[in-house]
Amino acid sequence: MKKRVWLSILVILSVSLLTFSPSAFAKPLKVGFIDAYSGPASVYSNDVVDAFKLEMDKVNAAGGIQGRQVEILKRDSKFKVDLSLGHAKEMIMRENVDILAGTISSSVALAISNLALKEKIPFFVTFAKSQAITAEKGHRYVFGIAENTTMAGKAAAAVMAKKPYKKYWIAGDDYEYGHAIAESTWEMIKKINPAAELMNQTWWKVGEPDFTPYITAISSAKPDMVILALGGRNLVPFLKAAKATGFADRFPIWTHTATELSNLRALGKDAPLNTVGTSNYHFYYPETPANENFVKEFEAAYQRKPAVGALYGYLAARYIIEGYQKAGKVDSEKLIDAIEGMTVDSPVGKVTLRAYDHQALLPMFVGVTASDPAYPDFLIAKDIVTVPGEELVLSVEEVKKLRGK
Amino acid sequence: MENLTLNALFQQILIGLSRTTILFMVASGLTLVLGVLRIPNVFHGSLYMIGAFLTYTIAQYFGFGTTGFWVGLAVAPLLVALISIAIERGILRTLYDREHLMLLLFTFSISMVLSDAVKFVWGAKFRSMSVPPFFEGAVDILGMPFPRYNLFLLCLGPFLAFGLWFLTNKTKIGKISRAASVDRDMVDAIGINVSLVFASVFIIGCYLAGLGGALIAPMQNITQGMDHDIIIEAFLIVIIGGLGNIWGALLGALIFGLTSSIGILIWPQFSIVLPYIAVITVLSFRPNGLLKSVW
Amino acid sequence: MFNGLFSKKSFGLLILALIVLALLPQFLPRFYIYLLAVILVAGLLATSLNVVLGFGGMFQFHHGVFYGFGAYTAALVVTKAGLSYWLGFAAAPLTAALLGLVMGIICIRLSKLYFGMLQISLGSLVWVVVFRWYDLTGGDDGIHGIPLPDIIYSTTGGYYFIFAVTSVCLLLMFLIACSPFGRTFQAIRDNPERCEALGVNVRRHQLIGLVFASFFAGIAGALFVVAEGSVFPDLLFWSLSLEILIMCLLGGWFIFLGPLFGAAAIVTLRIFGSTYTDYWSAVLGVIMMLTILFLPDGILGFFRKKTIKSEE
Repeated sequence: MKKRVWLSILVILSVSLLTFSPSAFAKPLKVGFIDAYSGPASVYSNDVVDAFKLEMDKVNAAGGIQGRQVEILKRDSKFKVDLSLGHAKEMIMRENVDILAGTISSSVALAISNLALKEKIPFFVTFAKSQAITAEKGHRYVFGIAENTTMAGKAAAAVMAKKPYKKYWIAGDDYEYGHAIAESTWEMIKKINPAAELMNQTWWKVGEPDFTPYITAISSAKPDMVILALGGRNLVPFLKAAKATGFADRFPIWTHTATELSNLRALGKDAPLNTVGTSNYHFYYPETPANENFVKEFEAAYQRKPAVGALYGYLAARYIIEGYQKAGKVDSEKLIDAIEGMTVDSPVGKVTLRAYDHQALLPMFVGVTASDPAYPDFLIAKDIVTVPGEELVLSVEEVKKLRGK
Repeated sequence: MENLTLNALFQQILIGLSRTTILFMVASGLTLVLGVLRIPNVFHGSLYMIGAFLTYTIAQYFGFGTTGFWVGLAVAPLLVALISIAIERGILRTLYDREHLMLLLFTFSISMVLSDAVKFVWGAKFRSMSVPPFFEGAVDILGMPFPRYNLFLLCLGPFLAFGLWFLTNKTKIGKISRAASVDRDMVDAIGINVSLVFASVFIIGCYLAGLGGALIAPMQNITQGMDHDIIIEAFLIVIIGGLGNIWGALLGALIFGLTSSIGILIWPQFSIVLPYIAVITVLSFRPNGLLKSVW
Repeated sequence: MFNGLFSKKSFGLLILALIVLALLPQFLPRFYIYLLAVILVAGLLATSLNVVLGFGGMFQFHHGVFYGFGAYTAALVVTKAGLSYWLGFAAAPLTAALLGLVMGIICIRLSKLYFGMLQISLGSLVWVVVFRWYDLTGGDDGIHGIPLPDIIYSTTGGYYFIFAVTSVCLLLMFLIACSPFGRTFQAIRDNPERCEALGVNVRRHQLIGLVFASFFAGIAGALFVVAEGSVFPDLLFWSLSLEILIMCLLGGWFIFLGPLFGAAAIVTLRIFGSTYTDYWSAVLGVIMMLTILFLPDGILGFFRKKTIKSEE
């Protein structure tokens, strides 16, 4: 009797799950976000979708896009490629999303980009930075809203190559982003300073729990400078260990986004000082009205200062909104044609989406971590040097070559 | 490899040994349960993870100071032991007569539930706590800075080994459980409450898992997935050591800990492969494990 | 054990099921065709495990290795060697069977729990190599956008291919199970010492069974590439292997179609469960516990027992 009851419940549950399906009759304009909403990387991802939502709420209040209300769907990628692909397929085939967006993991981004090409759905990459996204593996349906590894590497190399460093060590996360950023940075350093030599490389897995043995091994080699190819998942934990073991004091280190608010806020008093970092956004710099307004609005809505993810989310929203406006109707092909080459206003100035490879030409801010009495809870970046996006990206010719054209 | 100086090697060995303490603690608990109760306890890893999370929360309650750490270290494993008692008396006990496969799958199912329970209670964000102020900083060993906390773990190892030896060889419960692992019917026939013995051994094993988690908490990130990482390592250590053999677990932990830390020095790109190669090598020559398995 | 398949009533049901499955893509929305394809692949995989688990009584704890190995073979043949998918499809079961043979030779000297745990160790080594050999396998990123021939590139085309291959493979496995080899294999499960005494080379039979199982797992891996277009190292991870075990158990491991049924249940739960709740892992765990406690013969096993009882 007990078994039969339990069995019937199971059958009913399965059948109802199978037949339940979201209503096909409401017609909102669906944007599906796939990102790491759990785990260490969620500090970044939340800013993206929050800023995106802020813009979309304004549009919805004014009547929506072409009369359709924008609905934002979220799925947790958990930084895993197989889960993300499953979610993407589900959102495309079952929810019929019009646009895909996300994600912070470069591996996930490339996998979804592939799917987006197959399904002909525009995919806005709102954080992942691997150059491959818009260069080697770029295509009509993918848009790089964040800076890419080439840009970060060039900006950092320009600063580092000026210092008297000769022996470099590369250490980082063993995945797409880690390898991409290490490569572009090192290539740039070699170009500027041919005498630089690479002692060796250390790669650990994404989600590596204990960095101590790696830190001690690298320390014993005594490099002049350590290039840390750290991604969203390992960055905060590693920098914490770097400070705790004194590694950050003994060796100059650079990691992309070391000066970024999401990281410094998460690290708090455990953030290492004097670390070189590159970032696309600071809420305190540049001190323009556009930036100040942006910060005020975001803070009013979410009770925290915006970090770089908010900039990406904002940009993605603006391209979509203004793109559909220019296109005149909700059609993916028309949207893509409309936003190629489009320039939008943003807290960091005007940002153009390059037509050939769909890469947003974001400026880069290179700085050093330092403390500031105005902000007791986290470090900020000082000595900021701004490099415009156009100077950092690969030329269209170079992209063409990478794509094998 | 210009960094392969003797000093560097020595330091990596020490780091490896400090990691061995934790591996040994977790693996010995697993092998105890496996040897005496014949249960491959997959949720052993989940208990380790819970131990780490609990230590974090307790330390946080006390403001992450030195007191918080010691209280956490003392209390967290006890809480873990309590959870294991609940599970054992509640559901596990009914399955002792079932085949190993069922037990393995059942403990795997429990680990899935526990893993989500942790996610439910603590959320999906990772935690990290710093080493308590007492253990901050590094000690100079042969010109290389060696983290104090790792030194603490290193010293803890021999105490742990001694404690376990004492438990299994000199105490009554230890001797009875060794007998029960070889021939439980005989022990039953003598009139000893086998069920009670099993429960005690299980609790001790789980306590060790919790303690391992508590000790690792200041050293690494406390995240989801900790359970998966540790359980596979623990099982491999138990296999190469010999099922149910505590000294085998020590040997296996040494092999595992040392090969991974030395590997990082010698072959940084592929260091994770080395412990597995060591496992395969051992098993090729001694398929039943290095030391005698209890069955 | 599986003779229920050939009785008149269930044979008719089987033909009906095949016809329905063949016609479904005409009616169902794309997502459900994709779902069915995934279920069929999982069902093939679970049945291949059951060859050694249910029929052979071997503690195959890391069957996923052969599956993942086959999938990666197919993927690498296409992406790295630039050859056609059909070659990859042919190569996958062969490399998987080879791996099965090699691992089998090492593990077969042990039995029961020890066999299983040794297999987990060896399988984990394979996983580690695939996971860390970034230049070859892309490591944690996996391999994506694997080009497929046009016929099977679309969701429907892929489904038909998977449906055809799975049906053929299931039939083959059924025939193996019914054959004299299959019967000996089951006898070994029930009483290995007796078989040994009767002059049966137990180890050799188990090894052959292992090779068969890994062969079909390799095919399932190649089919995975068609269904998803990507491969990831998780295919070789031990928790997936335990999930396949769960599929066999849930469906009923003494019944030939049990694992297929279990696979359908688990895959459906996974896809829908993870959309509606963050804790589907716990849900699956609870279902497993309930199954082990109350339905040790699996769902189909439970129904079969009832049919037998009512017939008496």
